This record gives sequence, structure tokens and C-alpha cells, in this order.
Amino acid sequence: MTGDVTIPDPLELERAEEARLRVAAGLQPAERVRSEYAGFESVGLPDRPPQTDREREVYTLAEGEMLVNMGPQHPSTHGVMRLVVKVRGEVVTDIDPVLGYLHRGIEKLCENATYTTVMTYVDPMDYLASMHNEHAPAIAFEKLYGIEAPRRAEYIRALVVELNRVFSHSLMMGFLALDMGGITPILYGFINRDEIVDMLSAISGQRMLFNFFRVGGVNFDANDEFFSRLGTWRSHVAKNVEMSERVITDNEIFRARTIGMGVLSGKDAISLGVSGPNLRASGVPFDVRKAHPYSIYPELEFKAITQPAGDSHARYLQRIAEIKQSIHLIDQIVDKMPHGPVQAQVPGIIRPKPGRAYAAVESPRGLYSVYAISDGGPNPYRFRMRDPSFVSLQAIPKLMPGHLIADTMAVMASFDPVMGGVDK
Amino acid sequence: MANLRRPRPAAGGLGRRRSLTARAGAGALVRLLLDRFGDLATDLWTDEDTVEVRIDGTRNVELLTVLRDDAELDFFYLADAAAVDYGPGVRFEVVYHLYSDKHPAWLRVRANVDRDDPHIPSITSLWEGAMFHEREMYDMMGIIFDGNRDLRRIYMSPDYRSFPQRRDFLLPDDAADSSAAGVNPLERPETWDLTRVSEELAPGVIDRAEGQS
Repeated sequence: MTGDVTIPDPLELERAEEARLRVAAGLQPAERVRSEYAGFESVGLPDRPPQTDREREVYTLAEGEMLVNMGPQHPSTHGVMRLVVKVRGEVVTDIDPVLGYLHRGIEKLCENATYTTVMTYVDPMDYLASMHNEHAPAIAFEKLYGIEAPRRAEYIRALVVELNRVFSHSLMMGFLALDMGGITPILYGFINRDEIVDMLSAISGQRMLFNFFRVGGVNFDANDEFFSRLGTWRSHVAKNVEMSERVITDNEIFRARTIGMGVLSGKDAISLGVSGPNLRASGVPFDVRKAHPYSIYPELEFKAITQPAGDSHARYLQRIAEIKQSIHLIDQIVDKMPHGPVQAQVPGIIRPKPGRAYAAVESPRGLYSVYAISDGGPNPYRFRMRDPSFVSLQAIPKLMPGHLIADTMAVMASFDPVMGGVDK
Repeated sequence: MANLRRPRPAAGGLGRRRSLTARAGAGALVRLLLDRFGDLATDLWTDEDTVEVRIDGTRNVELLTVLRDDAELDFFYLADAAAVDYGPGVRFEVVYHLYSDKHPAWLRVRANVDRDDPHIPSITSLWEGAMFHEREMYDMMGIIFDGNRDLRRIYMSPDYRSFPQRRDFLLPDDAADSSAAGVNPLERPETWDLTRVSEELAPGVIDRAEGQS
């Protein structure tokens, strides 16, 4: 912010003091670049003319308004993201999300990798749903190549993605409470997560970036250690979930800060492209597992759960309901799992016929889809990933005006965005 | 090579999965589309779970409005919007994927865009959620969406001047082997020359803004 400032800038005083000390020590004065962040003064105003009408609107301050910079290193932005929040007193009037701090260009990297090595690149995208990240490309490439995974491989895939969904949702419950100042639930969430992660590391050999799916199957068959851990976990998971529920759901502070907060109507949610649990919490029964069934989901018995309210509390209740649903699905999958091979015969480098394929899966954060184009070569001509957190993030500037600044993080946590996915 | 295309028949019931994802009934959708957009007949294409329509970029708003609002079509959800570059001298394509609970198939709308003058109408008036998609396409491919009021870089920094997902933007590994090695710079150097940034990145907006103040 410019203008006739008469109070000395503390930052400038500090720098002057540092320069004085350097000179006293016989050193050269340090050179300063004008801007600390790329393109922005430390107070948050861009040091260049606005590029669009919207940017001009955000960075024009009315009487009594100021800009507050949140992030990129803010502990509760769930990754590296920056929100420029325009406030009047304690009330938010506008929000401008600034993305790209975690951008790795995964789409471009995948277009320069062979079909089989793409699976290793997509893992770190939405790092709490790595199994889902691999599932969509696997389906898309199988469509392109005209190959089918064996039945047992499909069952193992469904099993691991449902396990992944359970741990992602348990963490969401914990982080939501953490962003409101409750430390305990995240510990319960991590107990649940660690058990599942140990299980998945037994089957895939990795704790976080599994690299487990293959074109035409999965990397390893389920082994004894996996099933043993699964049985142990299954014997007490209901109690574990109930424990987190009892800590959070009826907590007075939690209820006060979630009920009626960030109410998103079904119509707005559809228009904004919100998907997954967040959309279903607004009453729209859109679940890709039901809408366009893939893998073995047509054989399993379940229905799309919805909540009527559309507020933060509904989004939280939706997560709990989906954890229970996933456990129910896991029971069915283990029950029905056939014997047989887990990997079809696929060469190391595949060259699908020219064509296009679209594959969508229901990730813990919503509709995750891959659009792959083959030109007959060994790597995808175009590899497009639609990440649900990226699109859902647009709801935040829409919902927050009128709410208190302290609720920004609470509402954002209820959408459960993962920045690895947002920034690709 | 050909015998590797199909999985070998083995225990465990191979060869059933296609029937699990493939769902009958896309024919009704194709007939409906032919009825509503008769002049697009030659541009329809289907596979097991997708129906594809190819249109000219200038018609995208008109067509998508009908697809969204028609009671029988009812494609109310924009699942994805992405850009594809078919290489220098060929064309861009903006690809929309739509979902409807009335039809058993995804609908893919491929809109052609001139590569030398990449302009296409924005669909943010139909779906607000298209905003981030369009900003990403602008950032990565350099396609200008007319009518989008927030078309600026989303991933790269505001002064960045290349479009990284275009086909002629080579990664260093490939660039070293290409015929253009040592001739074409990979990225245009970044600059803080503000006049140039404003002219190139946001034609018209700055002038308008300056005029108002």
C-alpha cells in the first residue's frame, strides 16, 4: 500500500540496522531485490498493473478494507497455497486464491514418458489418494490398448482404493478438527491411517507413493501380511471410527463452527464443478461409482449417500458415512475375491492404436478423470488429468464473503483440498 | 506383437471386464443428438461409454447451452474442460466432457480452435466452475477465452511468457536431440518490463482500466 506514510516502516528500520552492522563488520551492504514474492510487495499488492477486471476488483480497496495475506506457508492451507483475503474488520469481503507454488507440470512429464512409466508420475499428485490417481490412467490406457485386467486384479484394485478412501477421509476428519484448534482427533485419524498405510505398504512395497497399478493389472498379488493386517484392522476399525466420532461430532465448539457455515446449495455446487463427497453433502447424488460404473462396482451392493444441509457439518457427516460405506464395500470385496492371475501379459513399452479414451474414478475428493490421446507412439500424445480439489477450490471465494476470517480455514478444511492435486 | 494385444485366457474368468463398463443405450443419445443438431451428423462418433461431437469453436456456447438446458438431453454437469494441441500449423482443440444422469454415456464435445489466432468464447456464463479450467488452458496452451473476466496465469508466475504444454515447447532432453537444438530457445526469458507484460498478456484490459481511472 502506498501513500504518505509518516510512521517508519519496521522492515526498513531492520534493513537499515542490518546494513549498518554489515558496514561496521567491514562487509559490503547486501543487495536487496525489490519484491520478496514473485510479483508482489510484502503487503500483498501486485507491483504491476492488474491484468484482468477481476484482479482489478480484488486489489482495489474500498474504505475500511485491507488485504491479508494467508500463506503460502500457512500451516492450515493443507499444502502450499496462498489466499489473498480482503477483509473489512474481521469480516471477509473477497478472496483471491493464488496457486502454482507446487506446480510440477505432471501432465507434460507424462506426455514425455512411456505409458507404463506414467503410473510413477501421477502418484504425487493427490498424495492422500495415490491409489485413485493410478486407477484412472490404468483404466484409460487399458481402453486405449484394448486389454483387460484379470478379475482378481480388479478386485485387488477395488480393495486398495477403498482402503485409500478410508484413510483419506479419516485424515479429513482430523484436519477439520485441527483447523478449529482440536488436537486430539488428528491423532485418532493418524492411528487409522497408519494401520492402512502399513497394509498398503505390505502389498505394494511403498507407504505413500504406491506405484502399484499396472496397465493390465496390478504389480503384486495380495500376500499373507496384507490380509493379516487387514483382518486386525477390520476387527477394531468400527470402534476406532466411533471413537473419533464421539470426540468430534457432538462437540459444542465443533458444532458451533460448522453448522450453517459455508452453505453450498446443490445448484451452485453443480455450477462450480464441485464433486464427490462435497457435492453429495449438498444433496446431489452424483457418485461416479454409480453414475458410470467402472472396475467391479456394478457387482457390489451400495448406494450414493447424500446429506441435505450442504454446510461444513454436512460435509463432515458425509465423510463418516462414506468411511462406513467403504468398510462395508471392503467386506464384500474380500468376500467375493476370486483366485487367478493379477497381471495380463503386457510388454514393457506399449504402442496403442491411435485413439482417445476418457476414464473417470471417484476419488476421496470427487471426480478424478483422465483423458488420454494416443498417436500410435510409445508415449501418450496428450495426457489430461482433472483433479477434483483444483475445481472445488473455486467454491471458497464464492462462499466466504460475509463470514469471519477465522472461519476461512474451517470451511476450507471441510472441502478437504490437497494442494498436490490442485497444482498438479 | 498382435498376440499381445489380448490377455491370454486363464483361470479366474478373464475377458469379462469390458462388459462391466460398456453399457448399452448410447444409441438413444446419438439419435437425440442427431435430432437436435442435424447438421452435426457427420461429426458424431461413439465408443463403449462415450459419445463424441465435433464442432467449430465459435459454436461452443450455443451448443453447450442446448445440451445443458434441453429437458431430454440434460447434461447438467461439466466434468472436464481441457485443451489439446495438435501441433504447429494444425489446430488446438478445447474438449468438454459432460455428464447427465439420463444417459449411460459421457458426452465429449471437441471444439476446434485456430492455432494461429487462438480465440474461443468462454463458457463461464454456463458453468462458473469452468473458470479455473479456462485459466489453466490459457496458462498452459495460450488459448484466449473471449468473455472470461479473469483470464490470467494460474500456475506460472504472472510475468511468464511461454506456454509450456504446447507441442513445440520441448523438454530439455528432447530439445537436445531435435533439429532445432541450439536454434530455438526453450522458454522465452522472463521479464519485468511491465508494458510488454500488459500488452502481450491482457490485450485491451489494461487500456480499459487506465481509461477508467
